[in-house]
Amino acid sequence: MANRASALDTMPVSPLAQQTRGCLSVVAGATLVFLYLPIVFLVLFSIEPADTPGFPITGITLHWYEKMLADSAIHSALFNSVVVAVVVALIATTIGTMAAFPLVRGGIRFPGAARILFTLPIMIPGVLIGLGLLVFITLLGIKLGLHTVIAGHLVFTTPFVVLIVAARLQGFDRRLEWAAADLGASNRQTLRHIVLPLIAPAIIAGALLSVTLSIDEFVVTFFTIGPQLTLPLYIITQIKFGVTPEVNALATVILVVTLTVFGVGSVLLGTGRRFRRKDAA
Amino acid sequence: MADSTPAIELRHTTKRFGDTVALDDVSMVIEPGEFFCLLGPSGCGKTTTLNLIGGFIPMSSGELLIEGRTVTDLPPHKRNVNTVFQNYALFPHMTVAQNVAFGLRMERLPSAEVTRRTGEYLDLVGLAGLSRRLPSEMSGGQQQRVALARALAKRPAVLLLDEPLGALDLKLRKAMQTELSRIHRQVGTTFVFVTHDQDEALSMATRIAIMSGGQVSQVGTPREVYDRPVNRFVADFVGETNFLPGTVSTEGGRQMVVLSGGGRVAAPSGAPEGSATLMVRPESLTLRSSQEPAADACLAGRIVNVAFLGNHTRITVTTSAGDIVAIRPHGTNARPAHPIQELGEEVCVWWPADDAAIIAD
Repeated sequence: MANRASALDTMPVSPLAQQTRGCLSVVAGATLVFLYLPIVFLVLFSIEPADTPGFPITGITLHWYEKMLADSAIHSALFNSVVVAVVVALIATTIGTMAAFPLVRGGIRFPGAARILFTLPIMIPGVLIGLGLLVFITLLGIKLGLHTVIAGHLVFTTPFVVLIVAARLQGFDRRLEWAAADLGASNRQTLRHIVLPLIAPAIIAGALLSVTLSIDEFVVTFFTIGPQLTLPLYIITQIKFGVTPEVNALATVILVVTLTVFGVGSVLLGTGRRFRRKDAA
Repeated sequence: MADSTPAIELRHTTKRFGDTVALDDVSMVIEPGEFFCLLGPSGCGKTTTLNLIGGFIPMSSGELLIEGRTVTDLPPHKRNVNTVFQNYALFPHMTVAQNVAFGLRMERLPSAEVTRRTGEYLDLVGLAGLSRRLPSEMSGGQQQRVALARALAKRPAVLLLDEPLGALDLKLRKAMQTELSRIHRQVGTTFVFVTHDQDEALSMATRIAIMSGGQVSQVGTPREVYDRPVNRFVADFVGETNFLPGTVSTEGGRQMVVLSGGGRVAAPSGAPEGSATLMVRPESLTLRSSQEPAADACLAGRIVNVAFLGNHTRITVTTSAGDIVAIRPHGTNARPAHPIQELGEEVCVWWPADDAAIIAD
């Protein structure tokens, strides 16, 4: 033990250190349980045969998933959600990527202010965005529908794309662009063959994040939608009649899809980092 | 050589960055096939010169000709010049072969030609077997070779190299110096090389331009700048030199230098009378025991430091004219019977009069 003594061991430590550490572990554990247990329940109840979910679990069934798949209301809600998410991802990624270039590379006036304006919507509460948009849309006399939902979602997804792509551009070695120019590439060719491939992981991650954010957004959607329903709205309407196992099944599917998309995004961003770290070495 | 068009000609080139003059009315002619080295301390303007030739920065005034054609206002890719960057700037998402092929693909060469030439230049730099690797999977020396192959594959009239060996360790750097010389002989392209390392310049260059404060101090072969430096800066920057201030005067029909601190030594032939600085290289010096009867005038001193450096020993002698450094090579046939290199020993420093030179300050 003596030879393992480090500075930490010899530092003055409270006599209650052991107890404090124990208490903190309990608190941390309780927090995690509180965070994740409801989700575990939700998944468990989605495979429970009884139609009034509760313990003990009496068996395993995919009945609710079948029922969910057969429900035409869910079909249209799912369709709406996917359409919105895909369109939002495409537009947010395009605008966000284009915005990231001048924000990182300059050539604009008031870069600090521009950066704040582009990323501030992340901090603005959804209620404000939704309400503001509703007032604005009504003022313009535009009919509410999926297109207004898309506009609403763009407000808070674009900043995330800007942040992710800007971070990637920040670490971009501009000498690679000089090298490409030196080898005879035009600006457009340099963008296509050098810059875009190297920042692609960030762009795709931004798109995937936009999808996950858009798919489960409730507040902004609620303010800006017309007669249609998206998945989160559908779930809320169903809950008025009590939480059905069918909704549990639907929620489980959303959970899995969202986590998968998020996971793919993280892996992509990780790939990007690996490239850069090796360069530095 | 005389009637051929120079590969590069700089005419009265000046580059200002704001109020600082990075390059001050520099004119320079580089002949085709040369391995031309721009040597100098940081901030001397050597990298600025390279960037001007490469077209990465515009010049403030002057003219640049490449192969007799004025290219002052042309962008980099229209100059028939390619660059090996200091950090190599390899494209991390492309394999070695794709990196080398990049410039050829931008030229829209037929793909068979691209493949053939990529193979040819990877062969040239000795990386034929590694074409499918990513740059991140290669050592610094190998990345250096890829950068070289990528630039050479474009078959430029001039290859610019910006301190390409700076990031390598000493041993690898020595090996790459030999390698660069070989590649230069093999392709015959004009190389313009920037470095602050005089060893690198002396060992590889056909001619060296020594720069200081935005101006060219001297242009010459490695031997010329080493043996006949035009001023104190060049003598000091290239190799190690002892400087001895004094006065040249004629005594009894022989020209002597009376050193400022005392002592007198024979002057090199043709030295003008008056105050002057004498320079003499450490390897020209001979140390004699002070007891030995001296035929010639020599400088008395005491050994204050002896450093064994493997293939030579560096001996510092304190004399009335200041500290003098002498180098004694090892392994030569001309070994004295009693080598003088004991600390504290009283010695006499002597050199052949014509091995020293009078130089301007």
